[in-house]
This record gives sequence, C-alpha cells and structure tokens, in this order.
Amino acid sequence: MNPRNPFPHAPSIGRRQFLRGALAALALPPLETWSAASAPTGARNFVAVGTFLGWHQNAFFPKQTGAGYAMPETLSPLEPHRDAFTVFSGLDHRAANGHAAWSNYLSGVTPNSYSLDQRIADELGQNSRFPSIELTAGSGELPHPMSFTRRGVGLPMIQRPSVLYRRLFVSKSDMARTDYLLRSGRSGLDLLKDDAKRLQAAVSNRDKDRLEEYFESFRAVEKRMERQLNALHEPLPETEYQLPTYDPITPNLQIEAETILYHLMALALETESTRVLTLQLDGLGQVFSLDGRTLGAGYHGLSHHGNDPRMIRDLVTIETAHIHCFAGFLQALKEKKSVRGKTLLEETVVLLGTGTGDASRHSNANLPTLVAGGGFQHGRHIAIDPKQPDAPLLGDLYVTVMQRLGMEVDKFSNASRNLNQIFS
Amino acid sequence: MNRPFCSAWAGLAFVSLGALEAADTQPVPEPIRGMLARHCLDCHDASEKKGDVNLDHETVDWADPAQRDVWIRAFDAVERGLMPPPKKPQPSDSERGAALAYWEQALLKHVKIGGSAPRRLNQREYLSTVRSLFEWPGFVLPVGFPGDGESHGFDTVSDGLPISPAHFEAYRSVALEIADELFPPKKQGAQSQRWEAGPRDMVLSFSAASVWEDALRLVSKSATAFRSCTWPSRIEVKDSGVYRITVDASQFNTPAGRPFSVPMLLEVRARDLTASDRTNVNTFRLLKTIEVRSDAPEHTVFEAELYEGQTVLFRWANAEMNHDAPELADVYRRWFEEDKRFLAAWQKAIFPTGTLRPELTRLRGLNGWEVVRKHWENPGLDLSQATMEAEPTQKILELANSLSGTTSFADALCHFYHERGPAMEVHRLSLEGPLRPAESPRDSLRAKLRQHWVGERQAGESMEAAVNGILRRVLPRAFRRPVSAETIRDYQGLVERHLEAGHSFEEAMHLLVRNVLVSPRFLYHGVEEGSEHLLANRLAYFLTQSPPDERLSGLAAEGRLLKRGELQKEAVRLMPKSHHAAFVQSFVGQWLDTQRLATIMPDPRFKFEDDKIATARKETEMFFTEMLVRNLPMTDFIDPDFTFSTPEFLRAVYGIQAPTGGGSRPDKAMTRIPMERGGRFGGLLGQSAILMATANGVDTQPVIRGVWVLENILGTPPPPPPKNVPALTPDTRGSKSPRELLAAHTKDAACAVCHQRIDPLGLALENYDPVGHWREQWPGAGLAIDPGCVLPDGTVIRGPVDLKAWLVAHIDQFSQCVAEKLLTYGTGRPLNFAEKREVRDLVKRNHEAGNGFRDLLLALVESETFRTP
Repeated sequence: MNPRNPFPHAPSIGRRQFLRGALAALALPPLETWSAASAPTGARNFVAVGTFLGWHQNAFFPKQTGAGYAMPETLSPLEPHRDAFTVFSGLDHRAANGHAAWSNYLSGVTPNSYSLDQRIADELGQNSRFPSIELTAGSGELPHPMSFTRRGVGLPMIQRPSVLYRRLFVSKSDMARTDYLLRSGRSGLDLLKDDAKRLQAAVSNRDKDRLEEYFESFRAVEKRMERQLNALHEPLPETEYQLPTYDPITPNLQIEAETILYHLMALALETESTRVLTLQLDGLGQVFSLDGRTLGAGYHGLSHHGNDPRMIRDLVTIETAHIHCFAGFLQALKEKKSVRGKTLLEETVVLLGTGTGDASRHSNANLPTLVAGGGFQHGRHIAIDPKQPDAPLLGDLYVTVMQRLGMEVDKFSNASRNLNQIFS
Repeated sequence: MNRPFCSAWAGLAFVSLGALEAADTQPVPEPIRGMLARHCLDCHDASEKKGDVNLDHETVDWADPAQRDVWIRAFDAVERGLMPPPKKPQPSDSERGAALAYWEQALLKHVKIGGSAPRRLNQREYLSTVRSLFEWPGFVLPVGFPGDGESHGFDTVSDGLPISPAHFEAYRSVALEIADELFPPKKQGAQSQRWEAGPRDMVLSFSAASVWEDALRLVSKSATAFRSCTWPSRIEVKDSGVYRITVDASQFNTPAGRPFSVPMLLEVRARDLTASDRTNVNTFRLLKTIEVRSDAPEHTVFEAELYEGQTVLFRWANAEMNHDAPELADVYRRWFEEDKRFLAAWQKAIFPTGTLRPELTRLRGLNGWEVVRKHWENPGLDLSQATMEAEPTQKILELANSLSGTTSFADALCHFYHERGPAMEVHRLSLEGPLRPAESPRDSLRAKLRQHWVGERQAGESMEAAVNGILRRVLPRAFRRPVSAETIRDYQGLVERHLEAGHSFEEAMHLLVRNVLVSPRFLYHGVEEGSEHLLANRLAYFLTQSPPDERLSGLAAEGRLLKRGELQKEAVRLMPKSHHAAFVQSFVGQWLDTQRLATIMPDPRFKFEDDKIATARKETEMFFTEMLVRNLPMTDFIDPDFTFSTPEFLRAVYGIQAPTGGGSRPDKAMTRIPMERGGRFGGLLGQSAILMATANGVDTQPVIRGVWVLENILGTPPPPPPKNVPALTPDTRGSKSPRELLAAHTKDAACAVCHQRIDPLGLALENYDPVGHWREQWPGAGLAIDPGCVLPDGTVIRGPVDLKAWLVAHIDQFSQCVAEKLLTYGTGRPLNFAEKREVRDLVKRNHEAGNGFRDLLLALVESETFRTP
C-alpha cells in the first residue's frame, strides 16, 4: 500500500486521477476574511463522523487500556496514526434504546435535540462562508438526520458530491445567477416594505407589534443577503480536483462516496470555507463487494448478526472499510497546512462515533467513540466503567471538545462535567 | 451598489401603545364582602393567600387585567362548586347567586369578545395554501422547513407562531424553488451519451440479486424494490429524452429448481435514482416487458423515454419466489409438500433445538441459506417430524404469512433460488441517448403551473395590459382578499422595471413569484380588521385548513357572509365528510394529543407494533368524524354504543370478539362496531389512542392522565406545579402501589389543593395499561389495582365506568371544554371571560335542543366569538 496515498481503500475505476487533482496546490491561498480569531489552544474546526448501524464493539474497543494497546481489527487502518487519536469505551448518553433514538449520538440524552455540531457552528461558524456543512453517504431511503438546530429541526444532508463541490467551488455561471437572484431580490424589498407599511397603517396598535416580528426577520435576511452579495465578489477558492461523471449515491457505492466526500471535506477545511462538518454513514440492505468478495448479507442484515461469527466477520469488513477511508482523511489533514503554519489535523477536532451501541440488540449504551486531532495528547485507550456511581458521560467528552475549541461552556445535555484531565 | 440594504428601514419602527384603559375602581359591595369574609378569607386573605389568590380587597379596579384575573378564577371556582371546598360550610344559594351575578356584570363591562392577533400561516396551512394557490397538489415542503410552536394546545394560536429569521429564510428559499419550477432558468442543450453496465455495475440489495461469472441473477417478484430488483449504480440520465436500451438476458434453470416452461418476464422500469429503495415497484413506470425463453443470452433492443434523474430498474415479474405475505407462505408450502428433506432442513434451521430460534435475524441473507443447506445436505438429517401437520411446519408457515417472515428468513430462500434456479439472468445493459428530446411529467407539470399563473394573453394585448391582467387575477388569490389599486400598481412597477432593465418576461414573472410569496399579505392571516374576507378566511382555514374557495370568496365579495345564517350554510358545505379531512386530522391530533402517537415507542412486552398504533389512531379519528357527521349527542363522546376498529385489534387490545367483515383482509378491516353502553371500552376515555397518548409507552403515571383529563375533557387545567417542589415520580414497578405514593400529594396542603382534583382522575384510569389493554394488577409488584376514589365534588366512584357515568351526568362541562377547544383552534386565540360566557349559553341551548355535536359546531360558527376578529 502506498503510504503517500491518503485514500488507500478507493475501490473503483479512475480514482487515481482524482487523487492527483486533490493533492495539487490550490490556485488561491485561503481567505483571511473568513477566519475568525482562533481559540488559544489552536483547535478551530470540528468534524463529526457517525455510522447509523454502530460499530461492532468487540472489533472496535482495544483489549488493553492506556497506551501501547494492540490495535483492534476495525481500527487497524489507523495504526500509522496511533498517536493522533484516543479511543473511548464505556461512554454513552444514557439515552433510550432503538433506531428511533439514534440521533442521541450528537444530541445527547434527548434524541433530535440541539446537536453538538450545531452548538459549535452557532458559536464558531458565523463568519464562515458556510456555518456548517452536513453530509451523508450510503442512504437508500429516508434520511436519518444527525444534526439538529437549537429548535430541534433535523438538518438535511448533502448526499451528492457534485452538489457539495458546486457549493465549495462556485462556477462562473452559478455565480452570475446567484448575483442576479440577490440583486433582483433586493429590488423587490422596497416594494414589500411599502406594502407592509400600508398594512401596518390598517391594523390596530397591538397588532402592529405582532407585525414588527416580520420586519425584524426581514432585516436579518437583508443583512444576510448583503453579506452574500459582498462575498460573491471576494475571490473564491478553486481546485483542480475532478469529480467522477456520476454521483455515487446508490447505497452500494457508499465506500466510494465516502472517499470522495472526505476529499472534499479536507478541501473545505483547507480553503476555510467552513469550520464545522458532519458526515453520516447510513446503512440499509446494500450488499457490498469488498476485498474481491461479495458479503453474505446486506449491511443492515449483518448488523443483526445475533453473534454469528460469519456475519460478524462480514460486518467488521464493512466497518474496516469505513475506517480505511477515515484513515485517509486523517492522513490528508496531517499533510495539509493552514495559513497559520499548523497542520489541519492539529487545528481540527475529529470525532468518530455513533448513536447505536449494539445494533444487534438495538442498544444505545456503550457507544464506540474516537477523538482525533485538535492538538490533544493522544495515543491511549480510555476505558470507562459505566457501572461506577459517578461514571463520566459521553457528554462530558463533548464539553471537553467544546472547551478545546475555545467555547466557554460547562454543560452538554445531561452532562455537566468534562474529561479535560484525560488529555492533560 | 454599495448602498447599505438597511438604511431604507431606518425610522420604520412601530411603537406599541398597548390597550391602556382608564381606571374603573369600585368598592366591593357589602353583602359580597360579608360572604367572602365568612367563606373565603380564612384561606384567601393577604397573609394566607392560598393558591396565590387574595380576595381581601375593599375596592377592585375592574379595568386592570391582573385584578380581573383573580376574580375570574374566583368566579370559575365558585360557579363549578369547587370553592369553598366541599368539606367546608357552604354559602346559601342566594349568597352564591348574588356574588356570581355581581362578578359577572363587573367583568363583562370590561372584557369584550374578540382579539385575535395577526398570525402567520402555520406549517400545515402554508403547505395547503401553496398547493391551492398554484393548483399543485404534489407540492411538498423541503426537509428542514421550520415547524411551529404550540400555544393553548394548538398550532393555530398567534403566540406560538412568531416569524423568526429562520422562517423568513425558509419562505425565501421555497419561493425561489417555486419560481424556478414555474419559470426555470435556461438549461444547456442535451448531449448524447452512452453507458454500459455489466453484472458488477448493478445494485445488490438484501437478497434481491447475486452475481455469478457473467450474469446477475434475480429471483423474487416482491413489490418492494429493494427485495426484488436491481438497477445500475452509476447511470443517471441528465436530460429527459428517448433512449435506446439494450438488454442481454437469459433463463437459469437446474433440475433441482423446478425448471421454467413458460417465458420468463423481465420488467424494465424507469426509477428515479434518488427514490427510496423501499418504494413499491409498481410506482416506477414500466418501459417494457421482455419475454426471456432461452438459457442462452437473448439480445433485446428498444427505445423508451427516460427523464432527468432516472435510471432503469429490472424485475423478474413472474418469479416463483415472492417475499410478500401471504404468497411467501405459499412458496414454502409448495416446497415443503414436494421435498421432505427441504422441510426438515428448514425446521432444523428455525427450530434448532426444538424451540424457536431466539435470533431469527441470524438467518438473514446468504448466511441463512448456508445454515439451511448444511442441514439439507446432511445425510443424517432427522426426517421424522417432516410432515405438513407438525407444529414447527405450521409455525414456519405462520411466520411466512407475516412481516417477520419477509424480513428474517425469506432472504435465505432467495439464495436457494440464486443457487439452483430458476432465476432470471441479466448479462448486460447499455443505454444511449437522448436520441431526441421528450417532455417529462415534470416538464408538463411546469407548463401547467406556468399556464395557471400567467393565464391567456389576449391577441394584440400590450405587455402592460397583459401584466396588469395577471396581477389582477393572481394577487387577490395569493393574498386571499381583494387587493387595492395601489398594491397592483406597486407590483406592476416592479415587473415593468425589470422588463425595462432588459430582462425577459419569464424572469420578470420569476421575480414576481419570489416577491408575492414572502409578502406579509401572503404569510399572515387576517391582518385587516372586520371584513367579510376575514370571516371567509377564518371559516375556510378552520374547517378545511385551506384558503377560501371561489364560492366562499364570492359570497364575501358580495357582502353576504355577514347575514345571519349564511356562514352556517357555508360551514355545512365545508364540513369534513371523512376522517381523512385535514380538520379531523389536525384538530383531533392536537385536542386529544393523538399526534403524539407518532413518537411513542410502546415497550415490546405490549406487542403493539406500528399497524396497531395506526389502527388506534384511526379509531379515534373515525369516531370523531362519526360524531360530527351524524350529529350524535355529546354524551356519546363519553359513553357511546359504537366504535370503529378491526376484528384483530378488538380481540388483541379490548378482548372483544367481533365478527369479521368482507374484503381481502377481513381481520384488518376497519368497521363500525356496535357496543354495549356503560362498558370498560368505548368513548374517548377507553380508547387505546388516548390511553397511549397519556402514557409514555412503558408505564402509566396517574398524574399525567389526571392533568390530561382536566385539561382536555373537563377544560379546567390545574395551574403549573410550583417550581420549588420536586416531581414525584411513582415507580409503578416497585413494591409500593402508585396509590400509596400519590397519597404523599394529599398530605401536604400545598400539593393537595390541585392534586385532590388531579390524582383521582388518573387513578380511575389505572386499569388501562400504557397502550390501552385492561389490567387488574399493577406490573411488577403484582398488587391489585384499586381504581376507586372520591371526585372533588364529593362523588364516590369505583372506577372508569363510574367516571364515565359522572361525566355523562355533567356533560355540559365536557361540551363547554370541546367548544372552547374548537373556537381556540378556529380563531387562533384562547377564549376570554366574555367569550366563555357566550359559549356557556350556546352549550346550554344546544343541550336543550338535542345536544348534537354537529349542531354545537354550527352554533359556534355563528357565535360572536367566532365572528369577531
């Protein structure tokens, strides 16, 4: 395996040429205008990756604790990055069980509530071109949202690499249309305002108050339009990265889609287009062919392995393929430097986990979790005994993550402590 | 263009003047003060101030809303006989009557009917309004469209419907999406392309397909795409048009697999690549059915239309294998009858030790087939139980006749077919085009939407006149009321300036759509006062959740809606006729909280799957509709002689045997079921949906059910619990009975005030478990449930049947509650004192006139409360 190739598991045709494109220098330096003051720790970005069907615990959790543990099977592609991440066992949110509560992953004890990434984006992302970007790979039916706004609205996820690409690297014709829409939209605002004034005159004083909300929202949106219009005329990032001619959106192309999305995620961070990214890895009935072998059942079927060793073997093969792609992402973040002279990995807290502890039993306890980058002291397996009366919660780790990113917070969902001591 | 956007807004701030009234301070008349001193002030003076109520005043300023609120509470408590408490000495009837009469006239002097604040369309109304405006029933909101808050129990009340920047952004982006649909930006010309796909370029989903050398095999004809079909994973047509499709396919047969003697039928369908894989195959358009007769690949070339975003999908339409019940059981039955070894092998796989395998999921996919095959090929396989009559055989067939067979071991049987045939083999697909353009359904829809918006342009008509015509037609519909000449002129100016700047007519219309859909006149209800149009809108959104139709707008324009009786006539016309009606879904879901059912996951021990939840919800909705349509007496809400359910549900949940009706699945058909009055089930309080909505799927909490009954059946919600009191959560699994735990509530005087009203109502319903089954014991401890209790008015009841009888005897209180809920939902405001008095009179009159539910609703529509903005 070529150690220089950050995406060793790329499965299909023509991948080599995308890789060349991805590694080529960018035409323009990242834009300082998008950068906000960085946290004193130097960590400034946040990435969360989550699988819908969990991670098979026995192949994810190391057998030994502390440093120098034997790399478990699923994590084997991460061996070269051993010092760049920490594995956690025994953490969860004490949330309800079942697929329906899956979104406890980033939401905490209450599924479908304000998620970690959105909390971070609301605080750190407001000066970025995109406060946050939500992605998914491998979805074959209704999406399972992973990110939720403060009001508990599940955010739609981008599944097509081509859509993400167009957002990040706006083409000339897209730009002209956006410019037209913003300018013409503005011409209508005066009219709306005049008409709204007439409306105000026709209603009672008490009702005027109520309508004032409309104007407040209106003004906020206007400001946003103005920002967008100004931003359009700033130089935008460019890349030579080439997408395939099709979008790998059928679920059985999940690994291929993941590979491409990780490329684009690294580019998004490098060009400072955003500071917060999430990638959801869905799973349904798709049957994978991996390592030259067609697996014995669909991904979802395998996750209900009922402890059958052959089904577990195939499930772990899929999960190892996910980790291969993830290792490529860490490698890319290690190789890319920010304008501040640090590697992107040092500047990015990367969380990999799930809201499903054990899909075979639909249990959401003991969630496999891993944290990479962010300038933390890594290299260990931290095993937590959830039966201890004061056992830490996954939310405690999230508090540490947020503090690392410079946020002044001491609570997340049902957690009100932190795990700072582990990294010091 | 550096002009800051916002400068134009400077100075456009609106100052709230509030509704300040001059003080109206009156001394409390001596007889009233005397009554208060004798019966109330022991607890409700300035020092005791129980329940935060102080009635010890020499004067009252009736113009002050805060002071009025205290007296309204006092009035309600005295009128309902809750105060003074039953155990305390009571005032005489004349004392009571005099106090109530005095308070009523003082309150009515200042509290006037009316006062709905402007409010935006809620999410449901917004959706139906867009659909109606554009005549576009298929329009759906984008994922992530912001929802609404609830206020006073409904999503129609102004307080719960603020507009936030997030809403505004969402309105803008929907407006853009719609404008793009009507007047799409120019697209580049289509370029012809050619794709090739072999067996390895196709989707393998569950056990639908498998790859063998140069062929991909299909074996099932299940109607669910992901169980039977395959499609190329890297082909997605970008331009709608006619394509040349080439397919190589053959039969695969072996002697072990009952070879096929008739042609195999390979369906080629068009699927949207992004459609859910769970989609029913028949919703994908059939392009061609190919007859495959030979074991050697046959070459078929044909042309068919494919539209933007589509790819082709293959299904073997006359396969023997079918995942779907009951056909799956037939497939097993045929094999079992034919091959004893095969039967024995499946028995062994599903009953490995004589009992049912606890983890059937291990039998999924190829893995499952390998388990079965191992037994099948084992020469020592025990055939002694391999008869059709054996219990395991019957159990397998029973499972195969349910969803559990489809999802667990049917896939294993697929692999038998994959291996031994018969199977359909697909070898190659090629796709070339577009050979020529074709109009997709989306293109036709766009043309229709555009036509609907733009209308017919008269020959020789100037652009100015044409635009004016469009605005005169479109704006009143969008704004749901007549539009002033000034407003028309403004929009005309917008369109014309855009045209003068060199943009096309389509672009100008695009801009118009974008603007109209974010105007406050589109987004808000009733912002202008007192017109018939407001009344037309109110009635239409109340009963249909949609804008007024042509007839209703017409009547409003003619000024006829203000005439007595006219509104009622229209209400009769718009009244829902089935439980699918938006009004039933929305009002019942919110009033009785049955919309909560979508989020409740009953504990597996209740064996209450999704289909039961759906049946429960339908029962309540159909029951409500029947009450309305047949104008049944209000008492039937509580103790009716019918319900709606399926025989299966009645048996499993209510323990009632009902005759099965007709149809293809008689056990699952909803029918009207006659019932004895005065029983455990029947009526709102015995309906599964409501008992489920008032629990959490796992256990019951009497306090929650008690509060719910007070709020939604009696209309007298208790005040929120004091902040400094820790919640008392009875552990119904523990050794103490909930009754003992709840007793703590009534020991503490501060808690007792409310809990002596709440707890009995909840305890009376404890015989119903969290999904509505009847139970005699509390789970866990095994203690017998004692549902008996004393109601706040002193009535002793022995359980839910007595509770129902009490409610029937006090039916006006329930009617008042329902009437207030209906009016709150319909007017977007909680009712004030004056409005509740009006409702009280209507309820009384309706009771005297037969007490029909529909009559009550019609009386409410004619009420001042409904007609006043």
